Amino acid sequence: MTDPDDFKTRLKIAKSKIKNQLINDNEKRGSFMGNAFKLGTELVAAVAVGTIIGFILDNWFDTKPWLIVIFFFLGAAAGILNVIRAAKKMQKED
Amino acid sequence: MASNPMQQFTVHKIGPEIKIAGIDLSFTNASMFMVISASIIILFLYLGSKDKSIIPSKLQLIAEMFYAFVAKMISDTAGSKAKPYFPFIFSLFMFVLFCNMVGMLPYSFTVTSHIIVTLIMALFIFVAVTVIGFIKHGFKYLSIFVPSGVPVVLLPLITIIEIISYLSRPVSLSVRLFANMMAGHTMLKVFGGFVVSLGVLGGWLPLSFSVALTGLEILVAFLQAYVFAILTCIYLNDALNLHH
Repeated sequence: MTDPDDFKTRLKIAKSKIKNQLINDNEKRGSFMGNAFKLGTELVAAVAVGTIIGFILDNWFDTKPWLIVIFFFLGAAAGILNVIRAAKKMQKED
Repeated sequence: MASNPMQQFTVHKIGPEIKIAGIDLSFTNASMFMVISASIIILFLYLGSKDKSIIPSKLQLIAEMFYAFVAKMISDTAGSKAKPYFPFIFSLFMFVLFCNMVGMLPYSFTVTSHIIVTLIMALFIFVAVTVIGFIKHGFKYLSIFVPSGVPVVLLPLITIIEIISYLSRPVSLSVRLFANMMAGHTMLKVFGGFVVSLGVLGGWLPLSFSVALTGLEILVAFLQAYVFAILTCIYLNDALNLHH
């Protein structure tokens, strides 16, 4: 027979373990949210920058619609590249 | 009764109009809240580091926690070479964090919800990091635009994409902080407006939403300051340790 005191201490240890895990999970969720915010803006910002560069170059060289179209796609590629890089960095951290 | 949820973001002058060389340099509520945040930081860190006791007081404990947090962040992401930049990143983190937190108080103004503020900070970081990169590596720094192992045919295309990706850094850095703060505060005001317009009968649901959102906003305020600082560290790391 195990005595009741032994059971109580074991229960206490188990409960504190669960509590610690919950705190850890909450911290992890916080950093996941940070990463999610990061990825979203990373993609959009590169597209915006690419389009703006295309717009400026179009005005310079008088090639109205073409460069903005090309640079829009280049910007999208840059955005995807950014997201892939950020995701790779996240995977390395885990 | 139904007040405009965007009204909280209006900048207005406090005191007399100051004009120097045609530029409006008047003291506004935005400048006032920047001064308030900066003074809170200075006061808090002064009081926290005044006693230097071995058994720390609560205030000293919090101040030391901030120090250790930022120091660990820098050494984890940018390595030991980034140690000299600790004061800059620490002040940046504290300023963004306290501006966000002061903005959570009722009747206050959130400085970081204006894109001009965040963009200037991000552009300063961007220019500083670029200058540091060129000082440390000279023209070899340009090699970050040319990844190794790319076929020669694709090289011009990849280089343009890399340059766009590099230029998008300040935009993503500033837009992220500004958009999160502005969206959160607008949402709080909108739900607050619902509480008033639905009255005693129907106002309880939006009120409970408001309470939950306030908690979420405090989390976001901290998280965004953290993300802003850690991205600065990552950019600094790219400039200090060239590896490709």
